[in-house]
Amino acid sequence: MEPPKIWREKRGKYLAMGVECLDCMTKQFPFTENCVKCGSENVNEYKLATTGKVLYFSTVTQTTEEMMGSTPYLIAIIELDDGIKITSQIVDCNLLEAKEGMNVRMVFRVLARNGSEGLIRYGYKFAPI
Amino acid sequence: MNKVGIVSFGSYVPRYRIKVEEIAKVWDEDPIELKTQLQINSKSVPGPDEDVATMAVESARNAISRWKGKEKDIGAIYVGSESHPYAVKPTATIVAAALDVEKNLTAADLEFACKAGTAGMQMCFGLVKSQMISLGLAIGADSSQGRPRDPLEYTAGAGSAAFLIGSDNIIAELEGTQSVTTDMPDFWRREGAVYPSHGVKFTGQPAYFKHTIDASKSLMEELGAQPSDYQHVIFHQPNAKFPQAVAKMLGFSKEQIELGLICKHMGNAYSASSILGFANVLNHANPGDRILLTSYGSGAGSDSFSFTVTEEINNIRPYKYDAQYYLNRSEYIEYGKYARFKGILR
Amino acid sequence: MVKRNAFIIGTGITGFGENYEISAGKLASQALTRAIENSKITKESIQSTFIGSLVSGSNSQASIGANCLRESNLKTPYVRIEAGNASGAAAFHQAYLGLLSGIYDCLAVVGIEKLSDFVNVGIVERILSSTIDYQWEFEMGATLTSLYAILTKAHMREFKTTLEQLAKVPVKNHKNGVNNPIAQFRKEISIDRFLKAKRIADPIGKFDPATYCDGSAAVILASEEFILQNKDINSKVPILGSSYASDNLALHHRDSLTELYATKTAAATAYKMANIKPENINVAEVHDSYPIGEILAIEDLGFFEKGEGGRAVEEGLTDQNGQVSINTSGGLKARGDPFGATGIAQIIEITEQLRGEAGKRQIDSINYGLTQNVMGTGALTYVNILGEEEVKK
Repeated sequence: MEPPKIWREKRGKYLAMGVECLDCMTKQFPFTENCVKCGSENVNEYKLATTGKVLYFSTVTQTTEEMMGSTPYLIAIIELDDGIKITSQIVDCNLLEAKEGMNVRMVFRVLARNGSEGLIRYGYKFAPI
Repeated sequence: MNKVGIVSFGSYVPRYRIKVEEIAKVWDEDPIELKTQLQINSKSVPGPDEDVATMAVESARNAISRWKGKEKDIGAIYVGSESHPYAVKPTATIVAAALDVEKNLTAADLEFACKAGTAGMQMCFGLVKSQMISLGLAIGADSSQGRPRDPLEYTAGAGSAAFLIGSDNIIAELEGTQSVTTDMPDFWRREGAVYPSHGVKFTGQPAYFKHTIDASKSLMEELGAQPSDYQHVIFHQPNAKFPQAVAKMLGFSKEQIELGLICKHMGNAYSASSILGFANVLNHANPGDRILLTSYGSGAGSDSFSFTVTEEINNIRPYKYDAQYYLNRSEYIEYGKYARFKGILR
Repeated sequence: MVKRNAFIIGTGITGFGENYEISAGKLASQALTRAIENSKITKESIQSTFIGSLVSGSNSQASIGANCLRESNLKTPYVRIEAGNASGAAAFHQAYLGLLSGIYDCLAVVGIEKLSDFVNVGIVERILSSTIDYQWEFEMGATLTSLYAILTKAHMREFKTTLEQLAKVPVKNHKNGVNNPIAQFRKEISIDRFLKAKRIADPIGKFDPATYCDGSAAVILASEEFILQNKDINSKVPILGSSYASDNLALHHRDSLTELYATKTAAATAYKMANIKPENINVAEVHDSYPIGEILAIEDLGFFEKGEGGRAVEEGLTDQNGQVSINTSGGLKARGDPFGATGIAQIIEITEQLRGEAGKRQIDSINYGLTQNVMGTGALTYVNILGEEEVKK
């Protein structure tokens, strides 16, 4: 877990800060210096909607070492209320109660810890409303 | 003199709970006796992806989202905890970034056992009152550690409460605050140690009771107030028995302490303990109500506050994600899962 | 139509599986040496070596070509090409372009991966995570398997594809793998074994994914002119089409989760280059790293209507000598998946089919064969079309 990377990505991971093109008005995530649709440099930071619904999900029981502590966990593709889709975990949810179409809201959680002495990566996850 | 007080507040308690019976089973203890002694049925357990920073952020976001002010005005953030995720690297800066209120502000992490949250509140009151800042954020949060088999294991819970402190649109005006501080070896955790140690019975009378009573009495004396002047009173809650006993000693009734007594199902959230009770009181109090809040932190000290609730309180209520929401939601877990979540199993 | 001036003149492959005693360089050298022998050329004829590899090996040797060529006593220039799980096909495509450029007449392509050193499953999941969106999928908790789980759910929801139909994919591929001497697993596996296994990312079960392993595969490519000058060469399989296409890296950025757009696009170009249609293909090696991968492939390559893949597998239309024989080698599932070597192993299977050398796996009649090699969840797909062997002289 590289310190500059954690620092550079904090607005995206902590705040889900995307981008809005002021020319074609498209909202996108993650942040890019140029609009991915029209190429314009005329873009502003845009904070994603913090609520949405689950399009697809899967219960993960086998994962990388740094995430093994959280298994089993739910991973989902979520469509936010502003139409933007993102991939995120669903927490505070009984595994058997997770379902497609479920309404969720953004929460702040630990994404991964680099052992017991390294950095901690924080970021968004979603919880049922 | 300008007024100062609470302008908004937010709570957070993790969803998982473990029952006293479940822990007692592992150590072959008598759960009935324990429950009578502690008057606690279960305690909150943070999920594997939760820590003081995440809980602090959640409570602070709740304080901000129920409130109509501008969070960019926050000039100070203090996070009080005895379980900060980093020994060096502040929790308060993570909170600032997660609230998008970097960068013209002061911030620090505080530690004073279970009263670091109220210490941060006092600092914010001072900064706002002296007009050094217009808005401060004080948070008390803990993901408490209790050594397996230690009596603390039955009560050491987790949670966070956050308070925005300012001088505009005050919902609970500060009437006064008093503290008592002495050097007291009742409870400690050495640098690098995972679990705290404590003086068992020594944590009671000369520590918890003496400091809580002295600070509360001293503040009421200064304000010329009587226990009967208060609609609500909140004390630190290492268990449910201590705050009820201290209330009785000071002359408060069951009704006065009831709303603020939140530890029965969530245990002792250390730095968040008394202030989560305070947050729950604010969710229900009426304009004009007076509230006495006295924290206790081992080591030792107590901060006592007297507040009057204003009409403004109705502008930030109701709010879905209040203390009651978090207290009501729960998933009971077994000791094995608890041990995994708490890192007892490695 | 592209000028037909690129031919496969020889192949070499190692056994796929756990090869603890051999290093990555040595393994690659074994495949390369066999390919040179099979081509009936001298090794000095090789002008450059293209190595396809995702991570090479646990010694983190990026320039794995150096190890391979030293072991092979060769002194050509070399380059390692990385395109995730499709690194083998990527190296093949680059070599193909090298031949068509006219700069080269004879090139070696080696696919290599040595994964048995990574004894911890978590490490390979991490390697695989480099083929999905690292920041916005992997770091948010997704694994390659969990994203294929979502692709599986999308197909099941949209087309009523069943878990039984999905499980028929590895059942068939394991059956095919019995006849492949280099396959890691040479035994049939019952459908219950797949259906009753623990879910690692539901609906994907523990035995559904292809197993990562060690292996190397190599082919020698040559131009018409070179073949004419080297009288010993006795086989040339023409490369009729070779193309690749991309899609958004993250699933959440894709328009559809029931198709792999990159497969469709790459296939359309490859068919055009070869001037044939999907129905002309007799045998195909497709990327069945997960059962849904094969279902999506046979639909997106145009063998079956969209949504009909599950039924096609169930009805045996993809069995050996079915409507189109899919993964006669056993696929990634039975052959094993040494990432970089897989794309070349696919090409070798089709080459052997076209040469009539596939033994018990040989299909009855063949004009064209196809390979499809996928990176990650389909952000990059390579499609190659090979034609009937033109036996020289």
